[in-house]
Amino acid sequence: MKKVAGSLFLFSLLAAGVVLADDMVPLKTVLPKPVFVGTPVPINVPKLEPPLKGKRPDFMVPAGTTNLALKKIVTSSTAEPINGTLDLVTDGDKAGDEGSYVELKPGKQWVQIDLGQEANIYALFVWHFHSQERVYFDVVAQISDDPAFGSGVTTVYNNDAANELGLGAGRDLDYIESFQGKLVDAKGVKGRYVRLYSKGNTTDKLNHYIEVEVWGKPAK
Amino acid sequence: MQHNEANFRRPAPERNISSLFRLPSSVVGRWAVFFVLALLALAVRLPRLGERPMHTDESVNAYLIGEILGGENYHYDPRDRHGPVLYLLAEPLARICGARTFADLTESELRLTPVIVGSATVLLFGAGVEMFGFIPCFIAALLFVIAPLPVYYSRYFIHETVFVAVTLGLMIFGWRALKTNSLLSAAATGLFAALLVGCKETFVIHFFALGLGMAVVWFIPPRGKWPSLKAILVALGVFAVTAIVLFTWFGKNWSGLADLFRAAPNMAARAAGEGHQKSFAYYFGLMDPTFLLFLLAAVGVYSAIRDGLSRGRKAGLLLAIYALAIFLIYSAIPYKTPWLALNLWLPLSLFCGMGMARICSLLKNSPSRWIAALAAGFLLALIGRQTVSVAFEHPADQKNPLAYAHTVEDVLRLPPRLDQLAKEQNLSSPLIAVVAADAWPLPWYLRKFKRVGFWQPGQDPGEADFYLTSPTAAEPLGDKLKDRRPQFFGVRPEVIIILWSRETPAP
Repeated sequence: MKKVAGSLFLFSLLAAGVVLADDMVPLKTVLPKPVFVGTPVPINVPKLEPPLKGKRPDFMVPAGTTNLALKKIVTSSTAEPINGTLDLVTDGDKAGDEGSYVELKPGKQWVQIDLGQEANIYALFVWHFHSQERVYFDVVAQISDDPAFGSGVTTVYNNDAANELGLGAGRDLDYIESFQGKLVDAKGVKGRYVRLYSKGNTTDKLNHYIEVEVWGKPAK
Repeated sequence: MQHNEANFRRPAPERNISSLFRLPSSVVGRWAVFFVLALLALAVRLPRLGERPMHTDESVNAYLIGEILGGENYHYDPRDRHGPVLYLLAEPLARICGARTFADLTESELRLTPVIVGSATVLLFGAGVEMFGFIPCFIAALLFVIAPLPVYYSRYFIHETVFVAVTLGLMIFGWRALKTNSLLSAAATGLFAALLVGCKETFVIHFFALGLGMAVVWFIPPRGKWPSLKAILVALGVFAVTAIVLFTWFGKNWSGLADLFRAAPNMAARAAGEGHQKSFAYYFGLMDPTFLLFLLAAVGVYSAIRDGLSRGRKAGLLLAIYALAIFLIYSAIPYKTPWLALNLWLPLSLFCGMGMARICSLLKNSPSRWIAALAAGFLLALIGRQTVSVAFEHPADQKNPLAYAHTVEDVLRLPPRLDQLAKEQNLSSPLIAVVAADAWPLPWYLRKFKRVGFWQPGQDPGEADFYLTSPTAAEPLGDKLKDRRPQFFGVRPEVIIILWSRETPAP
């Protein structure tokens, strides 16, 4: 009897896996035109995130996953951006030229996207700035149901190794911005709000966002 | 009356204009005005001199000063260096400030040289009153005191500010020598001409433009007399001796003279652009984005041409031809950098002065003079505000048009970070290997560290405590960099350097 039950359990797991695997599809985002002339040569060094060699490998997400952030309301730690407006973060324009990005004040700053409802989030795509070779410092991405991010916060990316932001020391790698954006695996974390931090970059102390995409499905 | 050569010795004061525009009637009074302006220039240029990161060109010049401080001779390099005058001026000043080695040098000590020369340029306008008139020189000096371009590059350790000062000196004393046949003025002309050659290879453009101006002006009646043979010989003699002394570095490097002639092919190649190509109109927008100064200068040019053709006052006409020639040449050459615009600023500021003098004489006692005075005050305030923004608030910002391919502030984090890591790892004298195709200005920022080496990508730097690599140079060092944590630092817009350090054990 035990054997039969065990076999049935294993079969169910396998079947569920097949069904789940069938539901997974490659995440399809539209990449902007590369504007950085001196695109870096691919690097293969431990502990340094290598720039992508050609097309990014497929990142699998459940079927029906969409960009929930498109045209959604964006708030920020900066009441008045230095350049641009916050709606540029979710306007769908990922071009690297002037007028496509919002520029926030120097130092620790964040932008926050209200998805309008709770969702299972599978991936984030972030384009800070890609017309120049740059690295943004202390990039942290968090998801929560609390708009103040006081409770129920899940950190899905953190490369603030020195804990300069006070959100805990991160182990993720620094990366060089490119037109391909930064893909963050959010692992299906549930939440309504997505907040992204940064603290200046290698060119200046300012913070920029061209576009943020939040790929997920409304929570059932 | 501003440029009346008949009153060469002492310009006659304007009798008919209101007290607002009254000129100092004595030589002492005139010099007092320019002396005060020069002090003002000094006061504008000195604050926060060391704050802006060192531009690559500044750091290369600093390195050469370091070599001279270390007992080496200056060697003119026709491939990629300029003349010796900047180093001749800066090295003693650095010594006076207490520097004895490259590591001792500071940004402020080095930038003190262009600050002093830039302020001296303002004073030099006082010697130009006989040539151009009081108001033109006063306005030009005032623009040099407060305008963004001269202020910014008077706080920048490169050759341009010295070059422009020497150009002005050459103009003024050359004109004096022609008009007075004074041997002292002839000697000064020879000296300034040699200093110009000893500043930068672009002297060729300025000699051509001045020669063209002189030739045209000479043909326009009434023709002046040729200077005496004695004056010509004195000028040539001083020129030759000074040039030889400069380029042989006081007789210690005789190949320097021949090298000067070898610079021409490199200069021609560089003129083609070498990645610094800009549009023909680049300098116009850079010097005066509002175009208000160009409008004022246009009045000055009109006035100068009219005076030159109908009244025999030819200094303004000479300046107009010189200005036109250098504007066209500098604009036509594909290679353009913002500091070269300083050469164009000199005639522009003088023409603004001539324009103002013309407006003053037109308005005389008219009530409109108050409106003109208010407009001039507003324009000066606008220019001053621009200067505060570009020279003090955002001196290294890539949006600042004068901060060209500038070192970014982020690099300032590198030396203290290295210090901190060395301390954490108990390294009293860490071995630092830099692997990058173009490492400048890192030699400046690493000057306090005793054991630093520089390698090209692909070369093996051996074992080191810290590696600094460009992103592309990191890959061949893969084995050496494993178990190390990378930290990014900006060097210039588009240029990143990675510090690879061993993981510091948790406390």
